[in-house]
Amino acid sequence: MVRVENISKTLGEFFLKDVSLDVGDGEYFMILGPTGAGKTILLETVAGIYPPDKGRVYLNDRDITRLPPRKRNIGMVYQDYMLFPHLTVEQNIKYGLRSRKLGKQKGPQRVDELANLLGVTHLLHRHPGTLSGGEKQRIAIARALIMEPEVLLLDEPLSALDSETRAKLRKELRRIHALTSTTMIHVTHSFDEAFLLGSRMAIMNHGEIVQVGEPSEVFRKPNSKFAAEFLGVTNVFRGESRVDKGIAYIDINGLRVTSTDNREGQVYLSIRPEDILVSLSPLESSARNSFQGKVQDISDAGIIVRITVDVGVPLVAAITRHSFLDMGLQQGMNVFLTFKAIDVHIF
Amino acid sequence: MNTSEIKGYHSALKIFSRLRESSFKIITMTFGLVLAVFIVALLIGVVTHTTPKALLESLLSGEIQFAIRLSLITSVISTIFCIVVSVPAAYALARYNFPGKNILNTILDVPLALPPLVAGVALLILFGTTSFGKGLAEAGIKFVFTPLGIILAQFFVNMPFMFRVLRSTFQGINPRYEYVAQTLGSTEAGAFWRVTLPMARNGLMAGSIITWCRGIGEFGAALMVAGSTRMQTETLPISLYLNMSCGELPLAIASATILIVISLISLFIFERFSGFARVF
Repeated sequence: MVRVENISKTLGEFFLKDVSLDVGDGEYFMILGPTGAGKTILLETVAGIYPPDKGRVYLNDRDITRLPPRKRNIGMVYQDYMLFPHLTVEQNIKYGLRSRKLGKQKGPQRVDELANLLGVTHLLHRHPGTLSGGEKQRIAIARALIMEPEVLLLDEPLSALDSETRAKLRKELRRIHALTSTTMIHVTHSFDEAFLLGSRMAIMNHGEIVQVGEPSEVFRKPNSKFAAEFLGVTNVFRGESRVDKGIAYIDINGLRVTSTDNREGQVYLSIRPEDILVSLSPLESSARNSFQGKVQDISDAGIIVRITVDVGVPLVAAITRHSFLDMGLQQGMNVFLTFKAIDVHIF
Repeated sequence: MNTSEIKGYHSALKIFSRLRESSFKIITMTFGLVLAVFIVALLIGVVTHTTPKALLESLLSGEIQFAIRLSLITSVISTIFCIVVSVPAAYALARYNFPGKNILNTILDVPLALPPLVAGVALLILFGTTSFGKGLAEAGIKFVFTPLGIILAQFFVNMPFMFRVLRSTFQGINPRYEYVAQTLGSTEAGAFWRVTLPMARNGLMAGSIITWCRGIGEFGAALMVAGSTRMQTETLPISLYLNMSCGELPLAIASATILIVISLISLFIFERFSGFARVF
């Protein structure tokens, strides 16, 4: 559907470096990255706002690299809505109709349909200046959808909204996607959004795509220190790995961790806190990794309690509040941490 | 002391202590006040110099009528030319980055810094003595000693005002409005016409008013190019100058009064439209 091949672009302090991406037909694709990662320029390059310095953009296998935005049939929605302040809501939504030539009957009908779909019918005669953020974003989405775009680009569409409105509009986006089966590329810096909306996602940093995959897969197996840290994965360590008979043994400050990921040399590894078992006595189990240490820190986040145990390096384990109370855990207590080799990810 | 005397004594004390507390405030405010009084007194002095009857008679005289008409026509036309040229130029310099942009910006401001007399001499030399100017004159487009010359002088001297107001207006409009318009089927020019220009309305109004007002008052450059021929190139300022130099005080004051009224109205309108940016 949308294929980006080796795009490079420098625009002031923002840049893209050799970015390639393949988004399938009807997919809800998320691009996740910190501020300044180049997410917006990537979208604007796909939309055709400016030509890339290098590389090509394809839509349905047609090279559109040099095509102006108006001939691409790609819609764009910005974080700050960019509603035309001198036009009413209705005039905003039907702005694009002039180039569509739908005729006297069908045009107003489309406006009504979209206003209905996004629940903004009662606002049609108002000016954007007097509306709330959520209302503005709905109108911006309606304005883009009236073009029946093949691809809809969403640049942090929910970031400027309060959490309640954000949750509402997130559901709305999913509904619109299901209803219109428009291909969506949605940029965000929130992992929740990526997880809840995306069928696949890409992580971007410093103008490059770091990792692409299904959200759950990327979350479970971040392939870089940046991805792991950005996704809030704790327990990221650096060590020396040696592979023997399909099993990797990694030495971290004298602590030997076993993993099923085969990679040798200097590596990073991560263990998700919820994959670590906590017990008061050594466990007889198939798990290959078991360590003893003192509880260093306890952080209570409601249902989940995260405890930090010093086993030579500080390891964070997440347990339910229930088992935390059952075990009567306290700072300075001796505990055992156990996790499977298959849950140790090397990158 | 009875009660009212005590009250008076207390309030006097209060005023005195307040004076001492904020004498700095009082001193600085006095400067502002004196300046304002001076300005108002000057203007009232002009308007009340002759009797209302003499003023009205002068205003209705053929010469002043001619000057009003010529001033209005030339200033409106020169303002339109300023808009037509400044809108694209200001847009380019607000939106695009290109080598030499800073130099271009500076050059476009030069007429602002130039004394109007010098600007007038420069125009006179180009349009009066070079083969370019002579060619134009032969083709029937005469600038020297004609009303056309007045328009040219007003345009040249006031263009930077229009340009600067518009440039800062366009800079204040996020280019993403145009990007969105382009994804909605507009060409670059179409997006400018349907989105950016309407959004720049206030700046355009403010710029037009200040340009027009300055056009009405333009003297030095117009005098150099168009001369000061009675009933031919006699705008309001030229009329003021001609009548002062030959002692026709009532006529001179009539011109001055009209210029004062126009300036005050323009200033008022400009302030209303230009809440956006201080460009000068």
